Amino acid sequence: MDRLAKIFRPGPRHAIPVMLFLLLGFVAPLVTVVMYSFVPSRTFDLWQDWNLDNYAEIFNSSSYIPFVWSLGLAAATVLILAVICYPVAFGITRVFGKYATFITLLFTLPLFVSENVRIYGWILFFIKNGVLLGSLKSMFGYEPESILFTTGLTLMGMVYVYLPFMLFPMTLGVSMVPQQTRDAAFDLGATRWQVFKEVDLPLAMPGIVIGFLLTFVLAVGAIAEAKVLGGQRIIPITQDIETAFTYAQNWPLGAALSVLLMLVVGTLVLVVLRRFDLDTILGKK
Amino acid sequence: MRRALIWSWTGAVIIFMYLPALSLFLASSTSSRYFGFPITKWGFVWWQKTFDSLEVHQLFRTSLAIALCVTVIAVVIALFGALAFARYEWKGRSIYQKLVLLPIFFPQTVLGLALLLYFNALGFTMSWQTAVFAHLVWIIPVCTLVISIQVYSFDPALEEAAFDLGATRWQVFREVTLPVLFPGIFSGALFAFLLSWGNFPLSLYTTGADTTLPEYLYAKMIAGYTPGVPVLGTVSTFGAALLMLVGYLMIVILRRRRTADVDSN
Amino acid sequence: MTGVPILQLRSLTKTFGSLAAVDKIDLDFDEGEFFTIVGPSGSGKTTLLRMLTGMETPTSGEILLRGKRINDLPANKRPTCMVFQSLALFPHRSVGQNIEFSLKMKGVDPATRKARALELMSQLRLPESYYSKNVTKCSGGERQRVALARALAYEPDILFFDEPLSAIDYKLRKTLEKELKDIHRETGKTFIYITHSLEEAMVMSDRIGVMRGGKLIQVGSPQEIYSAPHTKFVSEFIGDVNIIGVTADGTAQVKAKEFGASLKTPAVPEGFGAGYLVVRPESLRFLSKADEAQNCLEGRLYNEYVLGSRVQYQVRVGDHVFIVEKLRQQAFGGHRDDKVLIGWDADDSILVTD
Repeated sequence: MDRLAKIFRPGPRHAIPVMLFLLLGFVAPLVTVVMYSFVPSRTFDLWQDWNLDNYAEIFNSSSYIPFVWSLGLAAATVLILAVICYPVAFGITRVFGKYATFITLLFTLPLFVSENVRIYGWILFFIKNGVLLGSLKSMFGYEPESILFTTGLTLMGMVYVYLPFMLFPMTLGVSMVPQQTRDAAFDLGATRWQVFKEVDLPLAMPGIVIGFLLTFVLAVGAIAEAKVLGGQRIIPITQDIETAFTYAQNWPLGAALSVLLMLVVGTLVLVVLRRFDLDTILGKK
Repeated sequence: MRRALIWSWTGAVIIFMYLPALSLFLASSTSSRYFGFPITKWGFVWWQKTFDSLEVHQLFRTSLAIALCVTVIAVVIALFGALAFARYEWKGRSIYQKLVLLPIFFPQTVLGLALLLYFNALGFTMSWQTAVFAHLVWIIPVCTLVISIQVYSFDPALEEAAFDLGATRWQVFREVTLPVLFPGIFSGALFAFLLSWGNFPLSLYTTGADTTLPEYLYAKMIAGYTPGVPVLGTVSTFGAALLMLVGYLMIVILRRRRTADVDSN
Repeated sequence: MTGVPILQLRSLTKTFGSLAAVDKIDLDFDEGEFFTIVGPSGSGKTTLLRMLTGMETPTSGEILLRGKRINDLPANKRPTCMVFQSLALFPHRSVGQNIEFSLKMKGVDPATRKARALELMSQLRLPESYYSKNVTKCSGGERQRVALARALAYEPDILFFDEPLSAIDYKLRKTLEKELKDIHRETGKTFIYITHSLEEAMVMSDRIGVMRGGKLIQVGSPQEIYSAPHTKFVSEFIGDVNIIGVTADGTAQVKAKEFGASLKTPAVPEGFGAGYLVVRPESLRFLSKADEAQNCLEGRLYNEYVLGSRVQYQVRVGDHVFIVEKLRQQAFGGHRDDKVLIGWDADDSILVTD
């Protein structure tokens, strides 16, 4: 009775629909993937002799290369985005004043347009006779090679797609630094750089770390950038997984690759998120 | 000096964000079959052709059906989720908060494939309904987060006051909680609709025979150049912008009216 | 040391759009004094302080520190330091690290830093064990002391205070006010304090400046401000006080607008047309006969409040309510609606303008 009363207190009671849904829609599918990863190669039936062959196949092949590419590109994306986004986040919190909301909306809008459509926009921009090269040709008669279908452009595509995911948590973080605390440091003789290092950075850290985590995790799962902008010059892990599921019709192998990716992502997310108090970050009063 | 630097840096980043949309728009407004820049024959022939296509009508209907269902279900579940997230103090809340966020911190392609396996194992055939479910897995957490931000500024004493004045639990919810949280609920709905409308990675594996707009565009892109792609891409961008602007203005007007009423009292 | 100006303001002005938040202020601060600027919110005192610390640049006028113009010197280059309203302690640093902050910025070595921090902590009666205590875990009074120690570690020529005691409960505030005055005496530094509470200013200050609408309307010692306010605004600011609207009637007396009586005053200045007569509640007396005071009025006892050691009475004369205060031992034993005579002598009243 006591336990029942506890469950039906308002907090847990309101959490039930979400938790139930996520159990059915998030946990159960992931469990299914884990189960499939133990099924013999190239079969579709879940209930048969389970073994570790799929994992053995992965570790005996060169499948680690896409993993390295995915992790490397994701790390590079995060670092570039940190540099790009910090001044913007700082501006939104402290410089833009009444325009801050409008500028935030400008950065939100692209989220609502399918990412592959936006990436396609870049193709039209960079392609031979496209917006950039066409303009250069007609205005200056200058005809450089197109940089389309290179690894560099894959990276740019990722930076482009995941920018809002870095910007918004970072802005939340920067807005957690009280102006009076910055003034106080400045008043006590700190230079601009010292204020940044001693006050801004440590106090905005929760938001910044969440931005890092979110962009890293999403970028590890990136697929369209390499496929469309990179001309398949490099194969990220997600594409390997997709291929296993579709063309190769090898669900168990795809599932095993997914499990490995989930392990990397899941560990990272759990380790980092555990350390944060979300209430303070999201602005509890 | 530093302010000017920050302004121009932000300006440059915004231009970077909108270059693809600009390219799409330019490509959609040429009358020739192939894209070349600078444009020699301006015109909106392809807009006409695209809008007249029966296939495109069907795509809009499917995308709209999915997005509307997702919005309604997500908002209802997320509203309760947000109350548990930010309104009530309870044991296990901090774990709950992190669990809810997990699907956001998860590669969508892998999530889409996992759902495909899952539906298959359960014996479902993929259709737009399974896509609604798939979208919800990602959108409910986002929606919960958006509404939570409003709930954080909600004063629980308001509910207590209403109880104290003799309102029933349902009356408190309808007369106090819901209206006060409305701006947050509205932004949550807007997010849910737009994110579902633009989603590709989850739709790709879970729609089966039904096709959404982003999927169609992807198929066309891979197949080679069609001017219909830039047209639909531009329409999506403008459509989202328009919806967001209208939504934003509505929230602003709502807030204004609220404070205006208080003043006149 | 007193008498040598350390900081001089020359026609200092700050405008935001068309609004002059600080309007042509001229003022000299003396070396080593405790000067308090008092004003209600919106009077421009915070803007003034922000200009003095270097967080805001003046629109016009000059700030001279020991005769040198420092208008454009940024806050981190000024030999002044401020204790903030929110205290603005660094929440991610310990008590010791907070106090040492400015020394670390200057590149002082850790051992010297720590020695100085401990020295300041003992001066401010913070236990040595607090050195590594998380600053967010300190109590309100401890946090005040940490903020003060942090500012003192900077070794400023002038210490500024932006209402640091406003969010603290009454009893602790009274203790801290006295502590602050002690520290001022011990350090001998110039303290410039702003507050909206004249009571707080009276306790601590050597001199007080009252601000209103961006202007400095009166400067003087606490005694001068209390006994000789220049305007109705300043006299109201001190607390409960009787203010009677009066007009000159050409003689040595003035006429009360509300109840028509002629009242004796100290000298009526040349050219005085209309103004206010200010009488402190403790200067009013209950009379048994009309000739016991130079001014006498008849009214009805309306209300009685016990204020600890004193008792306050409200007496209605026509529509005007007078406030009379007596020590409890000398309480007046009347009842509500009793007819009473109240009065005061001309020298106990002050004639002020608007």
